[in-house]
Amino acid sequence: MSAQIGALVRAHLSDRRRSLLAWGVPLGLWSAFVVVIFPSVEGALSKAVKSYPSALKEAFGIGQLTSVEQYLQAEMLSLIVPLALGYLAVRAVASGLSGAAESGRLDVLLSAPVSRSRIAAASFAATAVELAVVLALTVILTSLGGLLAGAHLSLSAAIAGYANVWPLALLFAGLGIVATGFSLRTTVVTGAVAGVLVTMYVVDLVGRLDPDLSGIRYASVFRYYGNAIEDGIDPAAFLGVTAAAIALAALGAWLFERRDLAA
Amino acid sequence: MPVIETDGLTKLYGSSRGIEDVSFSVEAAEVFGFLGPNGAGKTTTIRALLDLLHPSAGSARIFGLDSRRESVAIRARLGNLPGDFGYGRQATGRGALRLVARLRGIDGLGRAEALAERFRADLDRPLGELSRGNRQKVGLILATFHSPELLILDEPTSGLDPLMQEEFLALVAEERERGCTVLLSSHELDEVERVCDRVGIVRDGKLIAVERVADLLGKTQRRNLVEVEFAQPVELKDVRAIPGVVDAEFAHATLEEVFLTYYGEGPR
Repeated sequence: MSAQIGALVRAHLSDRRRSLLAWGVPLGLWSAFVVVIFPSVEGALSKAVKSYPSALKEAFGIGQLTSVEQYLQAEMLSLIVPLALGYLAVRAVASGLSGAAESGRLDVLLSAPVSRSRIAAASFAATAVELAVVLALTVILTSLGGLLAGAHLSLSAAIAGYANVWPLALLFAGLGIVATGFSLRTTVVTGAVAGVLVTMYVVDLVGRLDPDLSGIRYASVFRYYGNAIEDGIDPAAFLGVTAAAIALAALGAWLFERRDLAA
Repeated sequence: MPVIETDGLTKLYGSSRGIEDVSFSVEAAEVFGFLGPNGAGKTTTIRALLDLLHPSAGSARIFGLDSRRESVAIRARLGNLPGDFGYGRQATGRGALRLVARLRGIDGLGRAEALAERFRADLDRPLGELSRGNRQKVGLILATFHSPELLILDEPTSGLDPLMQEEFLALVAEERERGCTVLLSSHELDEVERVCDRVGIVRDGKLIAVERVADLLGKTQRRNLVEVEFAQPVELKDVRAIPGVVDAEFAHATLEEVFLTYYGEGPR
């Protein structure tokens, strides 16, 4: 059983090796750039932030911008990285299911003695690894940028900040498998889940901007995302979101097992 | 016990026609042809057998196992060439074979190399760079490399040139000799006639006849049209002068015969 999933995961990662670099290197370079320019913009930023409305600072997680970690949170980890990784997650998981159905690969795989739920599980596991590799590349390049610029970036804080994106993105991989239970068209799956990703972000943002609407944040996974680069990883949120992602993947596999795979 | 047995297999989806009340059986080491035009329901039947489509009604048993509940166990013993074979543009045939071999728990690639040589298939080029016929060869190798007990082939010769079609028909005959059962869908009567023991004719989603190929040909034979070969060239007027003959024409070689004349010694 595990040998089949292992073979499928290796094949998935081999197919997507270019994607690992295509996402990890630009995100890492962008993040490194943010770290590199911090010492030269630090003073001006502090003044600018003081003039921002408090609601805006709260909404985008900007407390103060007196450390490189705070700057990295504001520039990368509050918006760009979670949205990019969420989208990458659904693209990756869809390539192993709806993409495989469109290319004909799924028919070939399902000619072998492997169940559909195992293929779905392998696609989810491969996406989890892919996300981890992209985040690791990003952390490595960011840390190198910090070293070169003398920005005094804490490696453990950077690891916590980027690792915290992993369960959040994985949740959208789980949603992608659920979407595959309803459609085998990659554009439909990625479009639908990307829509949920953006909607959840906006819901969380609105909930943070308006205290009267703070209850709606519970409908968004971003409610549990936090600010790990400054506060450390919240184990309950990290494990809870990971568990939710796995539960969604299991639901998706169940739906995928029961649907027709038309020619 | 039949290798394949369907009972009232029905698949209805939306406004599109599926299949209705399809019942047939295929015995061990038999080559069974599924004959019908495109859209008749051949592929739908095959996909229902493979549990890719879930039947609306009826059932199918393969090796005596339920095609839905025991699909994984069934697939361990069969090889399948899907219609319009594809696997993605970047992957190579060898990569696909390695993965499928691992999923089957097979060490190495079995007889894949020998089959690749026989069909002159390139296993190392990305499938997206191969012509449809050359991709189809890779699909045939994927279906047969593990010497399955049952081969399910959906339009197997589509895209293959006449030489490779000949090679394919020879392979099917060898598989039958080995004891393999073959279910082959086609819309080419000539292909079915050459390799199949029995044929099921599908029209508008229904199986309208199951016949032995010889019986089918006997029924459709035109008893007043005869192809005659003379030892020497003749004049048409001499043939027409034979009592009872109303017309005579020289036979033209088919494109396939022309092809085989020029390339016939090539591939072996």
